[in-house]
Amino acid sequence: MAKLPPYVTLGDRLWTLGYKLLCGLIYLFLIAPILVVIPLSFNAEPYFTFTPEMLHFDPAGYSLRWYRDVLGSEDWLNAFRNSFVIGVFATLIATLLGTVAALGLSNSRMPYRASVMALLLSPMIVPVIISAAGMYFFFSNVGLSQTFPGIILAHAALGTPFVVITVTATLSGFDRSLMRASASLGAPPATTFFQVVVPLIAPGVISGALFAFVTSFDEVVAVLFLSGASQRTVPRQMWSGIREQISPSILAVATLLILLSVLLLATLELLRRRNERLRGLR
Amino acid sequence: MADSTPILGDDGLTLKAKLRQAERRNKLKTFGLTVPLLAFILVTFVFPILLMIARSVDNPVPVRAIPQTLEALQSWTPPTLPAEATYRLFAEELLAADETGDLGRLASRLNYDLPGSRSALTRLGRALRRGAEDGQSYRALFEEVDPRWSEPEIWAGLKALDGRLTGAYYLAATDRTRDVDGDIVLQPENTRIYIGLYLKTLWVSLLVTLFCVLLAYPIAYQLATLPTGRANLLMILVLLPFWTSLLVRTTAWIVLLQSQGVLNDILVALGILDDEGRVQLIYNMTGTIVALTHILLPFMVLPLYSVMKTIPPNYRRAAISMGATPSRAWIDVFFPLTIPGLGAGSVLVFILCIGYYITPALVGGRTGQLISSEIAYHMQSSLNWGLAAALGTILLVGVLALYWIYDRLVGIDNLKMG
Amino acid sequence: MDATQAAVRFEGVQKSYDGETLVVKDLNLSIAKGEFVTMLGPSGSGKTTCLMMLAGFETATRGEIYIGQRSINRVPPHKRNIGMVFQNYALFPHMSVAENLAYPLKVRGIDKAERETRVLRALDMVQLAPFANRRPGMLSGGQQQRVAVARALVFDPDIVLMDEPLGALDKQLREQMQYEIKHIHERIGVTVVYVTHDQSEALTMSNRIAVFNDGVIQQLAPPTELYERPSNAFVAHFIGENNRLDGIVRSRDGDICQVELGDGSMVRSLAVNIGGVGSRTTLSLRPERVTVHAKAGEIDNVFAGKVEELIYLGDHIRTRVSLCGQDDFIVKLPNSDRHAMLEPGANVHFGWNAGDCRALDG
Repeated sequence: MAKLPPYVTLGDRLWTLGYKLLCGLIYLFLIAPILVVIPLSFNAEPYFTFTPEMLHFDPAGYSLRWYRDVLGSEDWLNAFRNSFVIGVFATLIATLLGTVAALGLSNSRMPYRASVMALLLSPMIVPVIISAAGMYFFFSNVGLSQTFPGIILAHAALGTPFVVITVTATLSGFDRSLMRASASLGAPPATTFFQVVVPLIAPGVISGALFAFVTSFDEVVAVLFLSGASQRTVPRQMWSGIREQISPSILAVATLLILLSVLLLATLELLRRRNERLRGLR
Repeated sequence: MADSTPILGDDGLTLKAKLRQAERRNKLKTFGLTVPLLAFILVTFVFPILLMIARSVDNPVPVRAIPQTLEALQSWTPPTLPAEATYRLFAEELLAADETGDLGRLASRLNYDLPGSRSALTRLGRALRRGAEDGQSYRALFEEVDPRWSEPEIWAGLKALDGRLTGAYYLAATDRTRDVDGDIVLQPENTRIYIGLYLKTLWVSLLVTLFCVLLAYPIAYQLATLPTGRANLLMILVLLPFWTSLLVRTTAWIVLLQSQGVLNDILVALGILDDEGRVQLIYNMTGTIVALTHILLPFMVLPLYSVMKTIPPNYRRAAISMGATPSRAWIDVFFPLTIPGLGAGSVLVFILCIGYYITPALVGGRTGQLISSEIAYHMQSSLNWGLAAALGTILLVGVLALYWIYDRLVGIDNLKMG
Repeated sequence: MDATQAAVRFEGVQKSYDGETLVVKDLNLSIAKGEFVTMLGPSGSGKTTCLMMLAGFETATRGEIYIGQRSINRVPPHKRNIGMVFQNYALFPHMSVAENLAYPLKVRGIDKAERETRVLRALDMVQLAPFANRRPGMLSGGQQQRVAVARALVFDPDIVLMDEPLGALDKQLREQMQYEIKHIHERIGVTVVYVTHDQSEALTMSNRIAVFNDGVIQQLAPPTELYERPSNAFVAHFIGENNRLDGIVRSRDGDICQVELGDGSMVRSLAVNIGGVGSRTTLSLRPERVTVHAKAGEIDNVFAGKVEELIYLGDHIRTRVSLCGQDDFIVKLPNSDRHAMLEPGANVHFGWNAGDCRALDG
């Protein structure tokens, strides 16, 4: 408030205060779910609300029992393993194909650029329920339903748009005179690509890959349609947990997943900073 | 120095032709880079969807199982019953179809168009397997097995099964059916589901979009006007939910909103509600709307923020220097410049909302379901894949139309994440 | 100049991007070893295209480009051994200054020890040794510029190309860098081809300047000659300030011709580039070659004029005069006490010699 110029009226002050309060409430709305889940995952009782002990910060109200439950459960551990395996392979495919395509798409000579782009980004726009239904029909015909390759291919398809978007965005900021400079300094095209282009677009590629990984790691509709009992992923496991009989172990899993997203967000932020530094923006 | 004669290159080819050649080569090379992904998307994504669309009109069983009956029925018209010869033909074809398992499929298929008719066919199949009594006409046998065979409706239903392709799933998906004369009519009011559900889906999407606008605009504005350091800090509050698993967020809303949940507890503790008066905030439409707004809010904040960020503060300063009050300058100068971002965010949120499945399915209870839940239901439980495909195709057409608008409005190139 | 000794030679080079219009029309240019040649011209005049063709980033539609005796039309850019300083420097942001400089040596397979000594030498040359481990993004504009120059020189290229390298710097830094580049050139004697649209930059640094317009070299000459003896109206107008007087040639006597202006006054001029008697011509006269209070008999041309406006510019006073029917005739008066201050509205006699008044193409 101290920074306001001397000519503001009381009305202005109230308005500013009200506006800040409103923003605060919106941020609370955004973050509240996450804030609630984390402490409740340490609940000593099988309830989904704060017990009096918790509210009095009585250590007896808190426990790690739900974490022990999760980490001791073969089902959950399997689900985590499956999610990681599927996520990693889907990410590899999506990143490789997406990056190569982005190299073409960011070239001004690319023919039918807009249409190709629209087609390549459509997996992000088409409701997953429709894609998953289509994939179910197709994958059962070719024997890929209820297999790991089937889910990996499905997730790779759903993840490629994110790679294409982030890498084309990085390439659009890429100064093409750097490639000319490299050639003028005597580097053949391959050297130019690996020593100049790759290091500079790497942050974009990595954040695209992270997006693709999260897409796969968080995806449940395609998994519902395409997976069998042996391909259960974490979201699939949570889905049945919520649908059938909700247990606080889900909150423990949720907290672990939040931790994962914090790590991802931090990685992205580091990449963004590195990218800005590389471009001399700071 | 206008050159009217074509410019020739060293080898005598016109330069224009050579340039075109080189240009084509370059274009091909560039296009080649996108070919692997294009092929991948076509095979794993586009082709499956085309397959789904094909399912929505595919009708292989009747023409395979009872071709002659269908042909015979073409010359029959209600309200009389078909001739005895048609009964015999049908009985023979049904017996043959029973061998191949097509009888069951035919029964299911007929059941989609005439709900409850499955048993009439399966019972008939069992009776035919036992064989007819001596001297009994087929007609009498049919009517003995199930009284429905004495009514023209079921025959009209069979007649309508003709054709390799069918529009029946689309009729069902739009709450329509064929009456005994083969005319398309609306279903009786108590069995209409889908039109209402489509409208409800549109209405919910519109509401969620509106809530997103209302919630996103203030914070996007704050983020765009704060100094970078503090804006980045607050941005985390937007991005963290964005990056958090959907199921985690959905779980969290259940924990927060259920009747024994955190919010109700707080309201009771504050004395706003008494213990018996706890409100049901989840497993209904309220839950769906709250959770969807929360999940889609970042998709509105981010485009708005990036548009607002590019509006130079000097525009408003200029307006103020010309005598506009700050609020006037805001309305006249700032707000109109944010409309592109508003449009982009709104269409995006609307598109994503209209096809959302997970969240409504988990927190919507009985009343908060959207059209996607019906698609999933017919895919997984009723196994009426044709209907699921028809419902999906209608939804897909809507989404693609919106996608097209979005492309016109902002260009897909400007789609950014995070 | 003997063509066989040229470091760079353009022979009948043409360039068209669309197959219809020529951006560069029949360019013939020889540049001697160790020479500093500037391609000067307005934007779109074809100068950058010429540079890009020499560097190999554009291909000539027709004609040959030679480096020494070798035609380089079919040599890819990375094998041409040409150093280049780009408009925005194009320093690799992910490499340190030293790594940027070492890069051309590395791709040439030069061993590490040798690389280090040469990088250090190059950095010393541009006085940036303490910044070897910084990233380009952490340097000021002028420092980045010097790194770019050092990087273009570190591998001892045959030729160095500079594409408006000073465009992004502020005025003062630009002037300082002009001298620095000039001195580096003098010290190491490399052949430099420099592109700019800034005439003072060209005049400061070059041995010779090629003035480009409309895809054609209008004049190729050392700076003094270009300024003192422009061969056509475009060059006269483009280089330095210049009074243009349009008229018709009435008579010609050897180098001297009489030109009649629109208001009927006759001007004795140097016939440089004119048609026969009766053809149109443009007279070009530098504002600083006009004397005030001129007396007939002492000087070739004397006309009465009226002072319209005086602009004080410190070292000189720019005076706008109505003269010979034109009201935008400019005279530069040195700011010294030998000149009485003119008053606006005063009627004064102005004069100039025929040798300073060049009759050029109409």
